[in-house]
Amino acid sequence: MSTTLKLGDIELTSRLILGTGKFSSINAMMQAILASGTQLVTVALRRFNKSEQADDLYGPLDQLDGITVMPNTSGARDANEAVRAAMLGRELSGSNIVKLEIHPNPHHLLPDPVETFKAAEELAKNEFLVMPYIPADPVLAKRLEEIGCASVMPLGSAIGSGQGLQTSSMLRHIVRDSGIPVIVDAGLRAPSEAAAAIEMGCDAVLVNSAIAAADNPAMMARAFAKAVDAGSSAKSAGLMTRCDDAVATSPLTSFLTEEQ
Amino acid sequence: MVSAIPSWSDSAQYAKLSKRTSPGDVTTAMSSSEPGLHEFAALISPAASNSIEAMAQRAQQITGHHFGKTISLYVPLYISNHCPGGCSYCGFASDRELPRRKLGEQELDAELATLKNAGFEDVLLLTGERTEEADFDYLHAAVSRAAKVFHSITVESFSMTVDEYRNLADVGCTGITLYQETYDPELYRELHRWGPKQDFSSRLEAPARALAAGLRTVGMGVLLGLADPVRDSISLFQHVEGLRRQYWQAGVTISFPRICSQLGGYAPAQEVDDRSLAQLIFAFRICLKDVPLVLSTRERPGFRDGMAGLGITRMSVASRTTVGGYHTKRKEDSGQFKINDERDVEAFCETLRKKGLEPVFKNWDAVFHDAEVLT
Repeated sequence: MSTTLKLGDIELTSRLILGTGKFSSINAMMQAILASGTQLVTVALRRFNKSEQADDLYGPLDQLDGITVMPNTSGARDANEAVRAAMLGRELSGSNIVKLEIHPNPHHLLPDPVETFKAAEELAKNEFLVMPYIPADPVLAKRLEEIGCASVMPLGSAIGSGQGLQTSSMLRHIVRDSGIPVIVDAGLRAPSEAAAAIEMGCDAVLVNSAIAAADNPAMMARAFAKAVDAGSSAKSAGLMTRCDDAVATSPLTSFLTEEQ
Repeated sequence: MVSAIPSWSDSAQYAKLSKRTSPGDVTTAMSSSEPGLHEFAALISPAASNSIEAMAQRAQQITGHHFGKTISLYVPLYISNHCPGGCSYCGFASDRELPRRKLGEQELDAELATLKNAGFEDVLLLTGERTEEADFDYLHAAVSRAAKVFHSITVESFSMTVDEYRNLADVGCTGITLYQETYDPELYRELHRWGPKQDFSSRLEAPARALAAGLRTVGMGVLLGLADPVRDSISLFQHVEGLRRQYWQAGVTISFPRICSQLGGYAPAQEVDDRSLAQLIFAFRICLKDVPLVLSTRERPGFRDGMAGLGITRMSVASRTTVGGYHTKRKEDSGQFKINDERDVEAFCETLRKKGLEPVFKNWDAVFHDAEVLT
C-alpha cells in the first residue's frame, strides 16, 4: 500500500476523512478533528453561514493548518441542484474538491445513481475533483472513473445506520477493478470496521456519525485513526491468503524439500 | 397507488386496538425493528403511559442517532391577521375584535431585517385564510421578498391549488405548514363556522398538492385539544405515511400544537396534559425515526427544554404572534395565541448548549433553488 493517498493534486498521509455533522458543539467537532489526525474534512454547503453566526461550520475549519475542507452537496435532490451547490462551494472555499452527494429520499438518504452520474459528468468537465457518494455498485464505480472522477465513495451501509460493511462483497469487486481511490463512506460504527475496510483494499474511510455520536468524540476519533493505521500497516505488511480449508503450519510434505 | 388520505373510520379500529393494548404489547412495540401503525397505536395507549420513562430513553437514542446532537431553529413571522374565517379556536377568527393589520413592503423589510440581525435563516411566514386584503398575490410577493434575505422560507397560510404552490416554489418557497386541525369531518364542520377553511377535503388534500407542485417540505399536525387525540394522531400518522409513499422525495415534519389561551376563549374539549403530549411525541419518534418533530413557543420553557432532543429536533424561538411584532417590539394581547416561552434567542441557545445540543440556524441553502441570499 502506498504511503500516501493522492486525490488530484491533494496528497494525504492520513486515510481517515471526517464528516462534520451531528456534533453537540463546534468545539466538540474541532477536538475530534484534531484528535483524528485527518487532513481532509467534509462540510455541507447548507451549514456554511456567511452571516458569521455561531453555527457556521466552515469558518472554524478553514482556520485549521494542514486540513483541506471539502464542501459537500448534501440537500441536493438532483444533478442541477448539486452542480449549483458545488459551484458555490468552490467559490466560497477556494478549493475544487467536492463531495458529490445526491440523496433525494430524506428518510433513507441512499444515493441516486442516475443524478449522481449526470452531476459528476458536468463537474468533471468543469475541472472539479469529484468525489461521488454512491451505492456499492461496481459498474457505476467504473463509469464514474471513466468520466474523470477523482475517487469513488461507495457506502458500507446507509448513512448514520452504524450497520458497518454490509456491502463488503460488492466493495471487493469495486476495489479489485478500480483505477482510482475507493473510499468507504457511510455506515461505519466501530474502528474495527474501518480497519477491515482498509485491509480489504479500500484506500480510505469517511466517518462522521460514529464519532459525533460517541460520548467522547475526540477519543473515538483517535480510536478510528489507530484502526485505520493498523489496517494500512496490515495491508502493507502483506496479509496472508484467505483459504477455505485449514493449512497445517508444518506441512506433511516438508520432507520433500529437505536436503538429502 | 396508496392513498395519501386517511379515513376517519379506520382510525376507530386502531383506537380500539390502542385501548386494548397490554403492557406486553408496549414492550413489543418499543423493540420492533419496523414499527408501523400497530406499534404506534400501542405506544399512544393508556398502557404505554406507564412506560413513559423507557419511551423517553428510546426516543432520545433514536433522535441522537438520526439527527445528532443538534436542534434546528426557525422563527414565525405573521405578515397579516386579516381573516374571513370562523374557526372557533382561533384568536384571528373574523368575529374577534382586534386591530387588523398586514405588513406593507417597508414594514415587511423592517421585520425581515430584525430577524436577520437576530441570526435567523429559516423563517415561517403566516397569514390568515385567503382574503382580499391578504390574497395569494400578497403572499407571493412577501415570499419573494423574504427569499432574498433568508435561505429557507416556508409558509403557513390558506390551502392553495397546485399552480399556486408551484408559483410559490418558483420564487423560493421551501415548503408549507398546514395543520388539518382535526381529521374528524363532523367536528371539523362544527368548528369551522364559516369561511373558506370549511372545505375539509380541500385542506386534507393540500399537502399532497404542495408536494406535487415541487415544494420540498410539508409540516403536518393536529390541533391537540379539539378531538380525541388518539384518533386524530392515528389519522395523522396514516396521512404522513401515505404522503411519504406517494412522494418519495418529500420531507415531512410533524408539529404538536396544543390549544392555548387566545382571544375568543375557546376551551379545549379534550385537554392534552404534558405527560400525554410527551408520550405522543415519543411514540411518533419511535415509529417515524427520521421525521423532524417540531415544538413551538406555545409550550412553556420547562417542557420545551425537557423535550429538546427527546424526539423534538426543530423549534421556534423568540416568537411573536402579532403582526409587525419584531421591529416594533409590540406585545399586545392580540396575537393568534399566547406565547408561553418568551426567552430571547441568546437565552434559549444557551440552555440548549448546556444540554449538549448545538443550535443550528442555517441548515439549508438558497443555492438549491437557484437563488442568492444577501448576507
